[in-house]
Amino acid sequence: MTVIDYGMGNIWSVTSALRYLNCKVIVSSDPLAIQKAESLILPGVGSFRKAMNALRDMNLEAPILESALVRKIKFLGICLGMQLMGIDSTEDGITKGLNLIPSKVDKFSLAEIAERKVPHIGFDQVNSDSSGNLFKGISGNQDFYFVHSYRMLPPDSQGIVSTCNYGIDFLAAYESDNLFATQFHPEKSQTNGLKLLDNFLKA
Amino acid sequence: MLKKRLIFTLLYNSGSFMLSRNFRLQAVGDFDWLQRNYDFSRISNYIDELVVLDVTRKKRNLDEFCEVLKSITLNNFVPITVGGGVKDVDSARKLLRSGADKILINSGLFNKSNLARELSEEYGQQCVVGSIDLKRSKTGEFQVWSEDGGKLSEASARDLLEIVLKKSIGEIYLNSMDRDGTGQGLDLEILELLPKRVNKPIILAGGVGNSDHLMVGLKDSRIDAVATANLFNFVGDGLKKARQELVAGGIVLPMWDLEFRSMHEASSLQNSGSHE
Repeated sequence: MTVIDYGMGNIWSVTSALRYLNCKVIVSSDPLAIQKAESLILPGVGSFRKAMNALRDMNLEAPILESALVRKIKFLGICLGMQLMGIDSTEDGITKGLNLIPSKVDKFSLAEIAERKVPHIGFDQVNSDSSGNLFKGISGNQDFYFVHSYRMLPPDSQGIVSTCNYGIDFLAAYESDNLFATQFHPEKSQTNGLKLLDNFLKA
Repeated sequence: MLKKRLIFTLLYNSGSFMLSRNFRLQAVGDFDWLQRNYDFSRISNYIDELVVLDVTRKKRNLDEFCEVLKSITLNNFVPITVGGGVKDVDSARKLLRSGADKILINSGLFNKSNLARELSEEYGQQCVVGSIDLKRSKTGEFQVWSEDGGKLSEASARDLLEIVLKKSIGEIYLNSMDRDGTGQGLDLEILELLPKRVNKPIILAGGVGNSDHLMVGLKDSRIDAVATANLFNFVGDGLKKARQELVAGGIVLPMWDLEFRSMHEASSLQNSGSHE
């Protein structure tokens, strides 16, 4: 498993969860290594624009897209990593994303969340669709850890969609063929998240 | 439904873990002591978040702290907030690469730096926790202190809270210096300093000595999370018991089963042939 290091992640937390699950982890910012990776994780804690610029400046966008779309290897985006897989984001001006998930990234509006607090921080219930790989053996409505001010809405098109409700139903997890994504942090969601990561590793 | 959080705060001071009482620090033990009495890979099963603060009063050693952080956070699968002496994006980056998921800042909120903005431009507001230390004056009014409780802010606590709430931070950690380490319970009057409509999560700390104190805090609608740094009162399986009491008392906390870890660890040991 190769974890993409573009300077924006809580890298230690992600790799330590993977290692706990007996997964051999490579952390890399080398475009060639990404191009050859057997499977990829795109983590991320940061602002969308900075992250996307970092991916482009480090020549990582092309090998990521090739891996995800042409080589079709297993690919997981976590938190900001999931948002980067979207069409674009309004965070700090409009920035185009990797366009792997047909949904845009926007800030929670006070109206849609009925004046709840932003960021959305803490464990929250995920209405999971267990027909895919990620939630195999995880009963519905388990709690996962979220920390985010921006959200994606569930895409209309194909793909297995799990949501979380914070006044509005937003995209909590997504999978479509080789592409996987979670808005929450599985590496920070106790055994619920470990099970999900284990499912991803075994998918 | 979004759940409230039970947070444990660990205080680190050049090699030792500390008990703080009214911001006076007392060393409790080193990392080995901590592992014996607070194996966080186990204890983290019973908390919703861990905060680790470097409260070293003399010169801090960031690299050393990062190594300790890696050891503490190993096999912890809960969010980890780290602070103490964060002065710039570079030190935040180091911490985020050593086990931190969020960065806590205190003095940087009150001095002339734009630390909150710089950190949030890099990592997003949700990654920045603003911490405010409050102490009552002789006349009973709350005042804000920074620089490890060494510097009194001139503006009123109410005004400062309003200013800080507008900064580029994701949540606020309010700490009562008067109650700190006393085990007398949280000072809920601090919450009266907040504006009527607060749009950021509030963490209250200072004074928690038992699970009843946690309960009072978590039942208060103005509070999103309660933190305790009391190493002595929750030693051993103290946090496990406290969590059970909170759930029994009607607090809705997130649930996860612990079986996955025990089964996974047993089978990993078997496969590796280790007897550790």
